[in-house]
Amino acid sequence: MVKNKKTLIIIIAVLAALPLIFKSDSFHNIMVLLLIYATLGEAWNIITGFAGQISFGHAAFFGIGAYTSSVLFYRFDISPWVGMVLGGIFAAMVALIISYPTFRLKGSYFAIATLAVAEIIKQLFVSWKFVEGATGISLPIVDDSWLCMEFHTTKLPYIYIALGLFAIVIFVCNYIENSKTGFYLKAIRESHEVAESIGINTTNYKTLAMVISAFISAFAGSLYAQYVLYIDPFMIFTLDISIKIVLLTVLGGIGNIYGPLIGASILIPLSEITRVQLGGTGRGIDLMIFGLLVILVACYQPKGIIGLVNKVAKKFKKEGEGNVEANS
Amino acid sequence: MKSKLALFLVLIMLISTMATGCTSSQTQAPAEPPKTEDPANEPEGPAAGEPVKVGAILPLSGSAAATGVKLKYAIEVAQEIINGEHPDIALPLAETMGLPNLGNAPIQVVFSDHQGNPEIAKTEAERLIQNEKVAALVGAYQSSATKPASQSAERFKVPFVAGSSSSAALTERGLNYFTRIAPNDDMETEVFFEYLKYLNEETNADIKTIGVVFIDNEYGVHAAEMVDKWLEEKYAADGFEKVVAVKYPTDVTSVDTEVQQIKAANPDVLFHASYIGDITQFVKKYKEFEFSPKAVVNYCGGFQDTQFVVNLDKDGDFFSGGAACAPTLFSTMEVADKINELFKVKSGGENIDGPALEEFASLMVVADAINQAKSTNGDAIMEVIRTAKFDAPYFSTGAIQFDEKGQNFYSASFIVQTQGAEYEAVFPVEIQTAKPIAPFPTWTERK
Repeated sequence: MVKNKKTLIIIIAVLAALPLIFKSDSFHNIMVLLLIYATLGEAWNIITGFAGQISFGHAAFFGIGAYTSSVLFYRFDISPWVGMVLGGIFAAMVALIISYPTFRLKGSYFAIATLAVAEIIKQLFVSWKFVEGATGISLPIVDDSWLCMEFHTTKLPYIYIALGLFAIVIFVCNYIENSKTGFYLKAIRESHEVAESIGINTTNYKTLAMVISAFISAFAGSLYAQYVLYIDPFMIFTLDISIKIVLLTVLGGIGNIYGPLIGASILIPLSEITRVQLGGTGRGIDLMIFGLLVILVACYQPKGIIGLVNKVAKKFKKEGEGNVEANS
Repeated sequence: MKSKLALFLVLIMLISTMATGCTSSQTQAPAEPPKTEDPANEPEGPAAGEPVKVGAILPLSGSAAATGVKLKYAIEVAQEIINGEHPDIALPLAETMGLPNLGNAPIQVVFSDHQGNPEIAKTEAERLIQNEKVAALVGAYQSSATKPASQSAERFKVPFVAGSSSSAALTERGLNYFTRIAPNDDMETEVFFEYLKYLNEETNADIKTIGVVFIDNEYGVHAAEMVDKWLEEKYAADGFEKVVAVKYPTDVTSVDTEVQQIKAANPDVLFHASYIGDITQFVKKYKEFEFSPKAVVNYCGGFQDTQFVVNLDKDGDFFSGGAACAPTLFSTMEVADKINELFKVKSGGENIDGPALEEFASLMVVADAINQAKSTNGDAIMEVIRTAKFDAPYFSTGAIQFDEKGQNFYSASFIVQTQGAEYEAVFPVEIQTAKPIAPFPTWTERK
């Protein structure tokens, strides 16, 4: 736990230093997106990586966060910081409400249910006039302001807000992973029946994981909306976002707090670089390369990059022990 | 183990960083002055021999890729006309090479792909402005992509001229650096109703009941709202009445249910807001279910794509919609004809369509404005765009001029109807190349 904390502090420090060393706008854009998606990956990891409940509907919580802060800012001039907290609370409440019926389902049925819930929420927002329905919300452009969370001359504030959020979230995840709750969630993941037989209230713990996960996802959604300054239901509640969250976490290593960051560090820059370098060709070559790389990783390293690291580390350890025995 | 892990993570981040850092340094000119807080206030004008960059954000991949590629061809044609010598084409900037007021600097269009994704559209707009230092932006076809991209342009005070995005909401945001050439869906709806009134007067169609069929996105939903608005404000008094509204999902794979719903309501006329794939599916199902409305009018979208007649041939006959051009008019519009010839070289023989011509116009307007402003300063360009009247002999209206909201008030759109797998101009009567046919012959009669 202490070693983990040291590792985390090193990672956060490196992340904080990177935008000061590499000052290009493209790099700063990638940093913002990388941190937002890594945060979403951490949130998803709590319910899926720790508790073993596969969710394909996290875009719903992300969208609720984005819409709450945006509507409050757009309609009532309320600071997005307030909207961010309220968005988190709304998303957590929605998670609480949908958890009861959906946690009665297991395996693929639960995954399908999360997909359906996300689609229902999307349709609600498409038809809801107060949130501008399908037309979406263009957030008012104001002068650079921390209060309004809008920065037009530099992306550094967005990076540090995203980093602050990510840092809090990864420490929370680290705490959960090593706490009694974390062990209970892992027990549920390994065997639902065994967990119940040893007295764990599986429904309560799964619901708790879902609520925390939704709360964090909504924060990321609010930040994303303030960064893009435009949202509509089709971009914000899209399955693409849910899949991206799943993809980067699985790529990095599911059930491990470093997994989402590793996955995001690969997928987001890869996506941006291939698109920028090849996107203008008009043939979708960037998407083909991206797809191919994802297939290769999925085929040859199903446990994610972190699995590969562990495998290599174990190999070195064994060789080291072998050398010691031989010398003795 | 943990320290090795930390080292590994740091390594991944550094590799990513170096890769992206390289990307940026390749695109940024080393001699560029440091970025100021307000790019619009920089002293402008390219160095001798340097091109003036304009960004074009289009859907070059994703569901609208086929259309996006055609729009790219149209913009390339505009670039070719501006940069080359074309004394035979009676257009501003065609006769001379490049921009005469800026030392004949050529226009260099930097294309980027937003994939139909608003987030990418925003990111690309910023990249083009910050890294590529474009003087202006054009695009982005889908209104949902144009919105965030133009928001970014507004933040950096860089002019954005949208060619074919049709959502009326785009010009209702109070943006100072945004203009749009295409008629919006509000204007289109009014023209549709006037066309229907004309049909009722000139034919025995007796059109009263309306069905609205629209895709479930900003384009479709906003178009449907405009039908309600115009019915309430004006045309309900003329006896028009909406009897059914059918919304279908963006990723629709079968429209059987929707067509059955439409057939049950049996409206006289359908207002369609659909992309090319969807409208093709609908027409095939109308034939299968033998549903023949008296007329169909299409918002700027799939029907205007010449692929419509390629996909459906004569099954696509008698459909109508707003369009900025019709190949049948080219014989009387010399400039449009020459543009079309250049376009056909790129498209492999396919004629230019309305949205493509509007995107063509967007680059012509931007280049003309930069030339008149004698500067690449955003404010100077916008001043010209806001106040000047631009020659556009390739449109039936012959000109482009923007109102205070940034909307081109010379609506370039007229009504075309497919007859014999050709787009014929049918309304207003002044530009008619053929009389409109209404009501539709039934599918059985067509055989």
